[in-house]
Amino acid sequence: MKEQVINFQLNDEPVNVYSDPSLSLLKLLRNRFNLLGTKEGCGRGDCGVCTVLLDGRAVNSCLIPAGKVQGRNVCTIEGISSKSTAKAARFHPIQQAFVEKGAVQCGFCTPGMIMSAFALLQENPSPSKEEVREAISGNLCRCSGYKQIEEAVLEAAKVMICQKEHPGFK
Amino acid sequence: MSYTIASNLKQAIKILKESDGKAQVIAGATDLFLENLPSELVDVSAVPEILGITRGKDFLSIGAGVTHAEAAASSVIRSEAEALSEACRIVGSPQVRNMGTLGGNVINAAPAADAAVALVALGAKAVLTDLYGSSREAFVVDLYGGYNRSSVDSSAEILMRFLLKPAQRGEGSAFLRFAPRAALALPLVNAAARIRVEQSLIKEARIVIAPAKPAPTRLLETEKLLLGAKPGLDLWQKVKSTASSEIEVRGSMLRCSEEYRCHLVGVLARRVSQQAVVRAMEAE
Ligand SMILES: Cc1cc2nc3c(=O)[nH]c(=O)nc-3n(C[C@H](O)[C@H](O)[C@H](O)COP(=O)(O)OP(=O)(O)OC[C@H]3O[C@@H](n4cnc5c(N)ncnc54)[C@H](O)[C@@H]3O)c2cc1C
Repeated sequence: MKEQVINFQLNDEPVNVYSDPSLSLLKLLRNRFNLLGTKEGCGRGDCGVCTVLLDGRAVNSCLIPAGKVQGRNVCTIEGISSKSTAKAARFHPIQQAFVEKGAVQCGFCTPGMIMSAFALLQENPSPSKEEVREAISGNLCRCSGYKQIEEAVLEAAKVMICQKEHPGFK
Repeated sequence: MSYTIASNLKQAIKILKESDGKAQVIAGATDLFLENLPSELVDVSAVPEILGITRGKDFLSIGAGVTHAEAAASSVIRSEAEALSEACRIVGSPQVRNMGTLGGNVINAAPAADAAVALVALGAKAVLTDLYGSSREAFVVDLYGGYNRSSVDSSAEILMRFLLKPAQRGEGSAFLRFAPRAALALPLVNAAARIRVEQSLIKEARIVIAPAKPAPTRLLETEKLLLGAKPGLDLWQKVKSTASSEIEVRGSMLRCSEEYRCHLVGVLARRVSQQAVVRAMEAE
């Protein structure tokens, strides 16, 4: 398709890009914005490593035509760390919990996994184990067996609630 | 050569009309984006006329642009069309459900599309609008035009809404599927039922299974067996054997053998009817 201008919010900043609207959002993020945290796996919605948030909801960026994000809000793994604290470089509690619980092995599924967990905790701050499993059911991990990932998300939920109630808490 | 997000029906129709058949409707993109894209796309996922879920006095109206996630979260759909609620809850993954729409599910015309199977069992009608503003109604099953092919031309017609009869007194519905994994797996068989009971006797029954033919298929012999019958062990055994023998299914290299699928048709037809009957009795 012919290139057209696409305006949208990317990690809370307005951006515009001149692009083929039939390019995938995944390619747009990686090749045009150099946001390489979002990974490409199967390229057809089966693995979830390309998960980002579109208006707050987890989606497969490999299945989104770039033209679709016009006027909308996209959040990637790069956009979540700065959100929780003033210090931009600090990990988000979900990222921290993934490190602490050993939920990362090869790491390829991690950004997508964290974005699915992030979407869940925005909507449901204290999920049950089953709800965590459901939320990450569109994300494949070939190393960990999911156990540590599940624990990390539950741990992050606790930390996030604590931080909300006691803003000084770390 | 463009991608346009239509903000209302009029705009969507205008673009389709001016493109002379070159432009095609796109909704959640979860099916179409994996195919060869046409040169012009009209994104209808924000068109207000195809969104929302409304409960009228004697109908339930569900927008074609409603996503599986929205349908699964809807308490109205859960209470009035439980089979559809269950079908939408199981589609793909959270990511796919957040984008994929009921309209896209039906028009993509996969033989065992989950929402479509439930809609056929529920006897849903579709409302479509053409480029000159006239609309027509058709049963969802009649929108199938062949194997993986819809009879709807998405460059000339827009699927607007689905109309369903809400669950009546003594009526229940259910959806089940058998797949190798709980998420992100193609079903070997899926099944849906809508059943009405009166004084513990089955008065109406629609049982649908897929994939067997290009479209979700009613098990007419099994339905006949259920009509007027009193639910019990005997009946369920007969339902299972009638269901697996009344319809021809095919095996596939990817999914399962013909024999296994045939067995599953019987088991799922029985389970889904039982479940619908339990719900129907609770609603009596
Ligand atoms: C990883 C993955 C897993 C999946 N798992 C399942 C599953 O478990 N069960 C299942 O049933 N499906 C599954 N699907 C298929 C798909 O997600 C669904 O069929 C979905 O409902 C399609 O809707 P959409 O809005 O994305 O359609 P689109 O891709 O936008 O469109 C599909 C077709 O419908 C037409 N169309 C869409 N809306 C309209 C309209 N309002 N009027 C006219 N034409 C229209 C388009 O032109 C196109 O031809 C899966 C897909 C993926 C990628």
